[in-house]
Amino acid sequence: MKKTILLIALVTVTGSIFAKHSVSVSKKEKSAILPGAKAGPKKTTTSGTISFNATTAKDAKPKGENKTVIASIDIVKGTVAFEVIVKNFSFENPMMQEHFNSPVWMDSEKFPTANFKGNIANLSAINFKKDGTYAAQVKGDLTMHGVTKSVTSAGSISVVGGTIKIASDFNVALADYGINGPAIAAGKVATESKVSVSAELK
Amino acid sequence: MEVPIKKKYSFFKKIGLLALILFIVGIAWVLYVFNEKYSDTTKITPAYTLNALDLIHEFERNDSLANKKYVEKIMVLNGEVSEVEGVDSTVNIKMADSTSGSYVIFAFQQQDKGLAEKIKVGEKVSIKGSCSGGAFSKILETEFITFKRCAINN
Repeated sequence: MKKTILLIALVTVTGSIFAKHSVSVSKKEKSAILPGAKAGPKKTTTSGTISFNATTAKDAKPKGENKTVIASIDIVKGTVAFEVIVKNFSFENPMMQEHFNSPVWMDSEKFPTANFKGNIANLSAINFKKDGTYAAQVKGDLTMHGVTKSVTSAGSISVVGGTIKIASDFNVALADYGINGPAIAAGKVATESKVSVSAELK
Repeated sequence: MEVPIKKKYSFFKKIGLLALILFIVGIAWVLYVFNEKYSDTTKITPAYTLNALDLIHEFERNDSLANKKYVEKIMVLNGEVSEVEGVDSTVNIKMADSTSGSYVIFAFQQQDKGLAEKIKVGEKVSIKGSCSGGAFSKILETEFITFKRCAINN
């Protein structure tokens, strides 16, 4: 009987120690990805910028930008990720914003977010411990309008005193993502949109 | 009985004048819509006034319902600034739940960027803006709610 009680007590004490340990680990892991986190290989921001320009000779209005982009980079694994709420793209013209979010373009009611997940292909060429600007090749999957496509993009990574700045410009063929509105057919929206991404990660 | 020529001309004149007026109104409407700009947010009556943390908790409970209720609505949010984050040459203001990490972020309209840049972490502020909705971030593992065309409300 004494042995049984002792065993139960031992199991309980051991269990609580393990439980405490797992809670503290998960909290630590979470703190590494919370906004403003400084330590660890994962750097983030919630104020990245993505702008797009689909203007044509017929219409100079289809362009907008989103300044509340979540971005992250893992300097050890070389992973890069972006996430955005589509409706937070802002435009000067209300009609353009309405068109952008409508079912014939981004259909943001149905597809409220867009994201990119990828890897730095030439990770070994970038020294995150040394200030400087490095050319980077990023390959990954871009998901928007409910369609995921593989993209490769050239860009730059600047390291300035522990802060990492990333910038990239690339073109997106709207038809690849199932975007084929009448404005595109009429030549008012470019078939390929220029996309610029920039973020300062800490 | 034959309609006098003078009356016939008068009828066509009226039709022509009406067509011309409709054409001019149509052109003016198209020009207005194409060149319209967003009104200054400070001059728009808000649909909702809330505490930022209450809004965060509402999105955390059910963001589908919260999106249906608040997206594209002009709202005033009151709360404490948890972070002032640089973006391009200006700043975004954040109000976060320190327990969950979920946050509201405000991007400012051109005319209010200067005021936003003076705001400090810890300050209690009131911000008016257009809600773009919220979602669960797979990167941060928190709920995030975004606002655009924001203005300082106090």
